[in-house]
Amino acid sequence: MGKVAAKIKVMPNSPEIDLDALQERLESSLPEGAKINGVEREEVAFGLVALYPTVIVPDGSGGTETVEENFTGVEGVESVGVENVGRI
Amino acid sequence: MSEQHQNLAIIGHVDHGKSTLVGRLLYETGSVPEHVIEQHREEAEEKGKGGFEFAYVMDNLAEERERGVTIDIAHQEFSTDAYDFTIVDCPGHRDFVKNMITGASQADNAVLVVAADDGVAPQTQEHVFLARTLGIDELIIGINKMDIVDYKEDTYNEVVEEVTQLLKQVQFNTEDASFIPISAFEGDNIAEASDNTGWYDGEILLEALNDLPEPEPPTDAPLRLPIQDVYTISGIGTVPVGRIETGVMNIGDNVSFQPSDVGGEVKTIEMHHEEVPKAEPGDNVGFNVRGIGKDDIRRGDVCGPADDPPSVAETFQAQVVVMQHPSVITAGYTPVFHAHTSQVACTIESIDKKMDPASGEVAEENPDFIQSGDAAVVTIRPQKPLSIEPSSEIPELGSFAIRDMGQTIAAGKVLEVNEK
Ligand SMILES: Nc1nc2c(ncn2[C@@H]2O[C@H](COP(=O)(O)OP(=O)(O)OP(=O)(O)O)[C@@H](O)[C@H]2O)c(=O)[nH]1
Ligand SMILES: [Mg+2]
Repeated sequence: MGKVAAKIKVMPNSPEIDLDALQERLESSLPEGAKINGVEREEVAFGLVALYPTVIVPDGSGGTETVEENFTGVEGVESVGVENVGRI
Repeated sequence: MSEQHQNLAIIGHVDHGKSTLVGRLLYETGSVPEHVIEQHREEAEEKGKGGFEFAYVMDNLAEERERGVTIDIAHQEFSTDAYDFTIVDCPGHRDFVKNMITGASQADNAVLVVAADDGVAPQTQEHVFLARTLGIDELIIGINKMDIVDYKEDTYNEVVEEVTQLLKQVQFNTEDASFIPISAFEGDNIAEASDNTGWYDGEILLEALNDLPEPEPPTDAPLRLPIQDVYTISGIGTVPVGRIETGVMNIGDNVSFQPSDVGGEVKTIEMHHEEVPKAEPGDNVGFNVRGIGKDDIRRGDVCGPADDPPSVAETFQAQVVVMQHPSVITAGYTPVFHAHTSQVACTIESIDKKMDPASGEVAEENPDFIQSGDAAVVTIRPQKPLSIEPSSEIPELGSFAIRDMGQTIAAGKVLEVNEK
């Protein structure tokens, strides 16, 4: 079974948030079998910075669902959305 | 290098040769670094694999990419005279369908790979439907592994016929589809016309890719900006954030948020933390609208021009394909619909038509139920206000995924919106 790279957009709940700490919390929330291959940051607007972790998951049942759920539950996260997916 | 850019999806059933074809395309267009080819040729020979395995090269490249720090998903690129192509190798599992529908639009056109010795298989059907739902304009169908079936014209014609039926079932215009007999492995009809298929006088694959129509810029459509989040920023006020799907937003524009049904004048737009006078499709923006408070708008609202506001559906008619459902779907079923940034429970109010997979014609008017594998036209009633558009007018806001029991059970596109 192949692997899928999903670029996930994580919006913080405020411009004041410590992004390094948020990134660590995202890492430790990952379900088993998924891993983060680097995180990009994009300044959006008015001090808000979006995090874009690239998450590798198996091309199998469940898709990115658990990753999205776990990220959504992380403290300091406003919203989670998958930007794009592709097999690697 | 050419000016025009295209995103090309490679779709098809497991093992039908997608990776091999991608490898072959990169190779024929000189897009695989020579050292990589050499290295893998040597390794392949050492291991006693006779021929040169493109799939093997691709798998090794994938491992290299996975070791990299970040993975640019749209990594594989090649060029023809007319276009620079970026390849999107679509995930095979249907649980990724929601991502492809609600994510950033990815592909302009697609190559469907169908193995000549296997014909239409389950994922062939799902991917074809997905291509249609995602608004793919043209489909190039490579009937692959022609070498295995001794380049027989009869076999080719049979598979072409099977695929044509499938296209009809999901109402994909067969005039926007072209068929080519290929062998990704041997290289037949990829970069050069093959002597093995003397009976075929159509375009070869690279020609067909080069002749694809230019992707249409989405800016002709009115502004549509699905709201992802709403913030209160000190010193600024309410700031909605989202990605522009279609149209342009300018400072001073009078905008409307639907279904919340409020509006005002755009005061400031920021992108990459800088104030900009206007923003376009694909731009991630935060903006501020005079008179709008944090509780006036919410995630799932769509922002558009006040004089051409986003549609709000009382009901809508849609074409759906059921991908997986443990039993049957009947009128009254109320799963969750995912469309742009919105998630709303919607009731399937009536099942209007079921399509016959063999002919593509209406098989049954008002059937009692539909099940996995069926394509149908249904009428849907959102249980909460939902902004959605006919796919023929604004494809970016005209598709959805249906989820229930933790699974994507169907995908669809909007045919008609009956507005509130
Ligand atoms: N004889 C022959 N074999 C081929 C051809 N194309 C691919 N194959 C073989 O078919 C097998 C599957 O090819 P892949 O390219 O990995 O198929 P795929 O569609 O990418 O498969 P998944 O990624 O697993 O879905 C490999 O052993 C290839 O060498 C072809 O044109 N002729
Ligand atoms: Mg593959």
